Amino acid sequence: MSHAEDALKNRQVWTKANAEYTDRRARDAWASEEIEWGMYSGPEAGLDALGALEGKDVIELGCGTGYFGAWLAKRGARVVGIDITPAQLETARRLQEETGLDLEFIEGSAEDVPLPDASFDLAISEYGASIWCDPELWIAEASRLLRPGGRLVFLCNSTLSVLCSPDEGKVEERLMRSQADLGRIEWPGENEGVNYHLTHGEWIRVLRANGLAVEALHERLAPDDAEDHGYYDFMPADWARRWAAEEVWVATKAL
Amino acid sequence: MPRKPSEQALRNRAYWDRTSDEYQERHREFIGRGEPCWGIWQVPESELNVLGEVAGKDVLELGCGAAQWSILLALSGARVVGLDNSERQLGHASELMAGSGVDFPLVHASAEDVPLPDESFDVVFCDHGAFTFSDPYRTVPEATRLLRPQGLLVFSKSSAFAAVCEGPGEKIDRALHRDYFGLHELDDGEAVTYELAYGEWIRLFRANGLVIEDLIEPRPLPDAESTYWDAEERDWARRWPSESIWKARKSA
Repeated sequence: MSHAEDALKNRQVWTKANAEYTDRRARDAWASEEIEWGMYSGPEAGLDALGALEGKDVIELGCGTGYFGAWLAKRGARVVGIDITPAQLETARRLQEETGLDLEFIEGSAEDVPLPDASFDLAISEYGASIWCDPELWIAEASRLLRPGGRLVFLCNSTLSVLCSPDEGKVEERLMRSQADLGRIEWPGENEGVNYHLTHGEWIRVLRANGLAVEALHERLAPDDAEDHGYYDFMPADWARRWAAEEVWVATKAL
Repeated sequence: MPRKPSEQALRNRAYWDRTSDEYQERHREFIGRGEPCWGIWQVPESELNVLGEVAGKDVLELGCGAAQWSILLALSGARVVGLDNSERQLGHASELMAGSGVDFPLVHASAEDVPLPDESFDVVFCDHGAFTFSDPYRTVPEATRLLRPQGLLVFSKSSAFAAVCEGPGEKIDRALHRDYFGLHELDDGEAVTYELAYGEWIRLFRANGLVIEDLIEPRPLPDAESTYWDAEERDWARRWPSESIWKARKSA
């Protein structure tokens, strides 16, 4: 399938997810005083993945309902969010009006962003482009959009968690798919979309190939008292306490 | 003054002194080929090109064993030093060197505490050597100290995923036998080996001023044979990353 067809399918997935979950969750998410990573809310304070935010130009690639960008806007960043799903952007704009926070939202794909080169200090993706777009395309776009010295920070499912994921159902405590099956994964089932997942070596290669130096890989995000997530129920908290369920990559563009 | 070797380093020294003869006998033909090859599956360096040109460079092998790698690099024009924690292994190295007509210094020490001066090497590397049997929290800083600015650190070892999937009897299978968090020292009662999570390796490199250049995860061919892993384990390694070759460079 083409990237456009994948995008269409993913838009359907997120239109449905927004109706079921992300829309009603958005107000609380926007209101959070903390910056938190992933399904178990690992605090940014413990990672310092993002660095200073005041006055920074930030692009969020695959922003969904915009809550992550909102957290950064509250800290003085100028945030632009791009997403392919109109329903989620509608939610984002509603929350923006309610909160009075100043963010800009664009409908479009992180694989082809209609914004000029070198116009951002920070590019972020939290389960956005980081799993829903082709890394060869969106990493190149992120690098293009960053100023020299700018930083890319993204959260995705860990390689091990994807290798332990059956086609349907919860992540298992055993390897379920080969690394050769990573890359583009079309999950079966009508409510599922198309994701991209890479091995560690492949992430490092695609980052380096796009002029991004690897600074950090944060893997321990689930706190000891984590409980199963109510909506994203494929990843048991018990699993996430023992193995890396999610990971945050940090890379910088050369000066 | 060199520090006293750690208890783990002394145990590993005794282990290698005890098992070296048998090890070299078992793997002699497999790892004694005419060209440099990496790891369990002996993937040729000419395919991976990790080290690049070594002629005229100062190269240190950390955990050289019988120096099969170092001898080939010396024959390619590198100025080589081989270090190993086991005197018995270095005895095999001396024999092989004599047979190959090359001569270079061999150092008997743990890679956690190397009796060589700062910034004296262009390349520090090993292939399933010191980065398996020495504590990375001591060995990465040592390797960095020994490298000149812009110098290259390369090492291969089994992967963190292989450590997680290692079950009873050191057999690897599909079950997650060991937690990923908390990996560091793995003690099987005979020897102590070390493994870190991928992110922890990256943190350690960056904390020592090393720029990460590559992580190669070699995949065996469908019919690959090895004196280290059997056919069942090869099929595992066809499906999941069994080895990591890390490549990092010291800042200018």
